[in-house]
Amino acid sequence: MSEIQETFLQRIYSPMVLSLAIRNLKLNKFRTILSMIGIVIGVFAICAMGMVSASFTEEMNSMISDEADTLTIMPIGEKVIDGVTTTGFSDKDLRNIESAVKSVSNEYDFIPMYSSTKYIYIGKDTTMATFSGMETNDINTLVTLTEGTLPRGASNVIVGETFAEDNNLRIGSRITMLSSTGQEVTCRVVGIMENTGMMTLGFATNNAIVGSIECYTSIVGSNHDLYDEVIVRAYDSTQLNAMDDAIEKKMNGKADKDSDNTVSIINSYEIMGLFDDIMSMASIFTTIISGISLLVAAVAIVNVMLMSVKERTREVGILRSIGTFKNQILQMFLYEAGLIGLIGAIIGTILALIASPILLIAMNGSAEAMLSPSVLAYIPIGILTGLIVCLISGLYPAWKAANLNPVEAMATD
Amino acid sequence: MDSTPVVELYDVSKIYPMPAGDVHALNHINFSVQKGEFVAIMGPSGSGKSTMMNMIGCLDVPTSGIIKINGKSTSDMTDDELTIHRRDTIGFIFQKFNLISLLTAYENVEYPLILKNGHHDTTTRTADLLRMVGLTDGQMQHTPYELSGGQQQRVSIARALANDPTFLLCDEPTGNLDSKMSNQIMGLLKDLHEQGRTIVMVTHNPVTAEYADRIVIIKDGEIVDE
Repeated sequence: MSEIQETFLQRIYSPMVLSLAIRNLKLNKFRTILSMIGIVIGVFAICAMGMVSASFTEEMNSMISDEADTLTIMPIGEKVIDGVTTTGFSDKDLRNIESAVKSVSNEYDFIPMYSSTKYIYIGKDTTMATFSGMETNDINTLVTLTEGTLPRGASNVIVGETFAEDNNLRIGSRITMLSSTGQEVTCRVVGIMENTGMMTLGFATNNAIVGSIECYTSIVGSNHDLYDEVIVRAYDSTQLNAMDDAIEKKMNGKADKDSDNTVSIINSYEIMGLFDDIMSMASIFTTIISGISLLVAAVAIVNVMLMSVKERTREVGILRSIGTFKNQILQMFLYEAGLIGLIGAIIGTILALIASPILLIAMNGSAEAMLSPSVLAYIPIGILTGLIVCLISGLYPAWKAANLNPVEAMATD
Repeated sequence: MDSTPVVELYDVSKIYPMPAGDVHALNHINFSVQKGEFVAIMGPSGSGKSTMMNMIGCLDVPTSGIIKINGKSTSDMTDDELTIHRRDTIGFIFQKFNLISLLTAYENVEYPLILKNGHHDTTTRTADLLRMVGLTDGQMQHTPYELSGGQQQRVSIARALANDPTFLLCDEPTGNLDSKMSNQIMGLLKDLHEQGRTIVMVTHNPVTAEYADRIVIIKDGEIVDE
């Protein structure tokens, strides 16, 4: 027994067994390459789809994560004022909404605003934009200026970066809107707002025009002093759901959530969660698709390894007869499967590293997200997956070879 | 030659169960080989000599009876213990040479040393053994397919000697060779025997058997003459 204990380490790794495995792979180059191609395709699919999907998620997150702290509350309940049916938030509504928010936390920004879509005349061109009016302090809280100053008075506005670029506007440029009475009102651009990104779950600045309440009401009117929208920004985004529930309860009551509601709430935190769920689902879906190709490759490996065991039955018998342990025969076939897996997986991963940025540039115009850790994680994931799949595929053929009867194996031609 | 038994078989039987009825390959065999002996086991095809060789070579276990190699019973040995016996105690020489086609002549001889020591041969033992059996340095780097039958059997003998085994077990060592090459191989085995090696040889060739000190005739699974 002592001899077995002494040789235990030797039985874990044998240079000659590894050398035999490598030589056999070289001897059957064509078959080795064919079985490797399956793994290359499988790992390439997993890596490329994973990398593109992770990059896309990163890209989306960078576009919308800043806004995942915002509730946008809009009125849907009708009001009859002076015989006219309209919608909007009265001062009382605002007090109710704010008290609901306060019941959760005192750390928030509360920004009521007027808002409507207007035709904008710039020189000879006409375009449309969302025109919002709010207190100057609130503008300061809500948006970031890339240049210029905050709008004050009735004839100054700030515009979004994209809107300014699209319409060749700069500080001092003039835009014209029609007032509710049909008169042309010209405003001066005094500031440019930083873009909030392609997808925003809060206040979108890209194509917006923002002015003071005085400016807004002088052009659009006050709609019986009813506000069109309230933005609540929580300092701690995890409290957003509780604030949402509190407002829902206070404004819409418990009875029926779908009818008789007075407010509609867009919860950016909830939408972010939903978006994450969708991305996770997409990721699972792509993993399943890639997994199927890897499964096909695994079946091919099993087939190739079983053929190899059948062809080398006599060799296994000889090796066993001159003192090779069962364990070493097992190792020899696992080395072969592992080498096919490792080399195939490395090639597949390299191809994915080449293809993914090309795909991303074609889709997004940028492959910057490729450098993020969640994307780079697919390099070890791909290599390990290929290796493990091949080792598992080689397990049964290797076990079968190791358990061959040496006498019967040597009698095989 | 001294009287230390290297191989001992006590009442050994081997039965192969077959659909048409049990086949008694060996029937209550009692047999021993002393250290330094050269024993030939002869018999016609189907006599049970190959079965006996497999038992002595720890490649198979008996249905009943006891086999002792170097005084140790093989009956209760695990597969790993039998493997160690094959590696360290027995030097196999086969009729079809049974060299590993992926390895060169040198590597074939080095292989049992690596199995035992866990590393490549750092001494000149492998080359010395190959030179001893008559291979040139150039031939050592040839694969089995690049060697003649006689050269392959020489490599096989060198491989059998690699771990300095207690005895050599030869299965029709000249069965695949012409008469000239057979004489050379048997001459080599004779030399080894004269150097003190214990040799057990299974053969059906009376000319080859003449090289042995003792000839055991086996028929229908029983020793009929000695």
